[in-house]
Amino acid sequence: MGKIIEEIYVWKLPVRMYHWINALCITVLFVTGFYIASPYLNPPIGEAVWFKQMSVFRFIHFATAFVFIANYLFRMYWALFGHDRYARFAGFRPWSPKWWGKPFREQMASYLFLRPDEPSHVGHNPVAALTYFIFIFCGSLFMILTGLAMYGENNPGGFTDTWFGWLIPLFGGSYNLHIVHHSVAWIFPFYVILHLYAIFRHDIVDRSSVTSSIITGYKHRVEDEASLD
Amino acid sequence: MDKQQTYAEIFKARGLSRRDFLKFCGLTSVSLGLAPSLLPKVIHAMETSPRTPVIWLHGLECTCCTESFIRSSHPVMGDIVLNMISLDYDDTLSAAAGHQLEEVRRKIMKDYKGKYILACEGNAPVKDDGVYCLVAGDSYLNILKETAADAAAVIAWGACATFGCVQNADPNPTGAVPVSEIITDKPLVNVPGCPPIAEVMTGVITHYHTFGTLPELDRMKRPKAFYGTRIHDKCYRRAFYDAGMFVRDFDDESTRKGWCLYKMGCKGPTTYNACSKTEWNDGISFPIGSGHPCFGCAAPGYWDDGPFYTRLADVSFLGIDSNADKIGAVAVGAAAAGAAAHAVVTAVRKKKANGENEQLEE
Repeated sequence: MGKIIEEIYVWKLPVRMYHWINALCITVLFVTGFYIASPYLNPPIGEAVWFKQMSVFRFIHFATAFVFIANYLFRMYWALFGHDRYARFAGFRPWSPKWWGKPFREQMASYLFLRPDEPSHVGHNPVAALTYFIFIFCGSLFMILTGLAMYGENNPGGFTDTWFGWLIPLFGGSYNLHIVHHSVAWIFPFYVILHLYAIFRHDIVDRSSVTSSIITGYKHRVEDEASLD
Repeated sequence: MDKQQTYAEIFKARGLSRRDFLKFCGLTSVSLGLAPSLLPKVIHAMETSPRTPVIWLHGLECTCCTESFIRSSHPVMGDIVLNMISLDYDDTLSAAAGHQLEEVRRKIMKDYKGKYILACEGNAPVKDDGVYCLVAGDSYLNILKETAADAAAVIAWGACATFGCVQNADPNPTGAVPVSEIITDKPLVNVPGCPPIAEVMTGVITHYHTFGTLPELDRMKRPKAFYGTRIHDKCYRRAFYDAGMFVRDFDDESTRKGWCLYKMGCKGPTTYNACSKTEWNDGISFPIGSGHPCFGCAAPGYWDDGPFYTRLADVSFLGIDSNADKIGAVAVGAAAAGAAAHAVVTAVRKKKANGENEQLEE
């Protein structure tokens, strides 16, 4: 093992909290969501009024969804107004050609094995930032809006229906909205695999303690020594 | 064709008592969801307003809307409503035909300019100038536009006229479009269903006759009174849904017990209609009541959201029949395989780099 040269405090407590609440919510939402689409448990025995098997899954899904939304809104607040140089939106400007310049291309080239070394980034590297933007920022927003539109269907004319129900005709009807919400849910396991692979790989290749950093908050810079053992 | 008679006069002419008339008014206001305080207004309108002239056009359709309409549940009520709305032009129900009938249509359009209701059953194909549906020597597209020009309001009957139904299902060879896409400058009410419930159809017309306005509509221009909630929300099998007691096979015990049909592809949770409240054929039953899952005939695009017996729609992906779960599983599998391949390449390169380092050291 290389020697630790520097210890950097990267992820502040609110960011770490956000990350783990988000991870937990997504897992629960994915599992309960797929259960709602296709309930597989054996039916309870007895009278229907005694049981709430399906309602419980729906309740957990909706309750978790509201935690997920609150957590998301908190992260947006933190990214816009938090005094946190590593967790802010400030550096993320995909609309500017400059952002797609050297750092992004270097990182991409490294992932594609086009350059032998690993560029060093303390916060999110540009490729990771783009991935988070697509899957976590846009993907979650999409799931939140479509989810609220469907939640509003439980009480037509109510608050949720009034503010989010317009999405139903936009997607051509309630059924299509359900299917779209269901389909887009698949981006999360897809993303989680890439995410886990990328962090484990970074930990092995550049040994920056990225995996433990989301628990402890600290990343490390280590002495350069190319070795796998 | 004395069109100036009021509803009350027709009741009288047909030998029905005042009591029958008041019963009809009461039933109508209940089915419209009106407050009891509005009953005198309904009675007043029925006594004083002349019958509303209706022109009923048929485009690309199967006439099931008419079949439903003429079976309006209460036998007396159904018969009366059919006679009372002054259905002046209806090419499938009229005794007259051909030029005679077309003459009537033009006369109504002239005599009642801006006052008649245009009821459309079926939609219009727009591809190749609408040649795929010809009525009375002209394209239905032209007839629809011509008749709608002077109408007070347009009622789109059934799944065809409201959302397109089977005619505009993929690949839609005739370019059939819903009426709302052709007539954009008139008040329009969508009454979806394949067919719509008879009482819903008569209810919409009575509302217009009573208040002179269309009923309150939702985002898809459907009357809120009938399409305000999902079938699921008022389904009598909802308790089984909440309890998690589902029919898994049409042959098993759960079917006989009348459990929830959700897993059999019931579209009740996404379909807005009054079936679970009003029911069909004089309140005898409705599909779920008869043990069959709702297949969402009143929902947009119901032919493309198939199959009827699964919750998840089949979608064609890269020319292969599939569904969201299959595509998702393949994508996740691909991500895992990609990550594994990437890991192997990383390891090989590391090893190579180590080898070079060792060589250098030697």
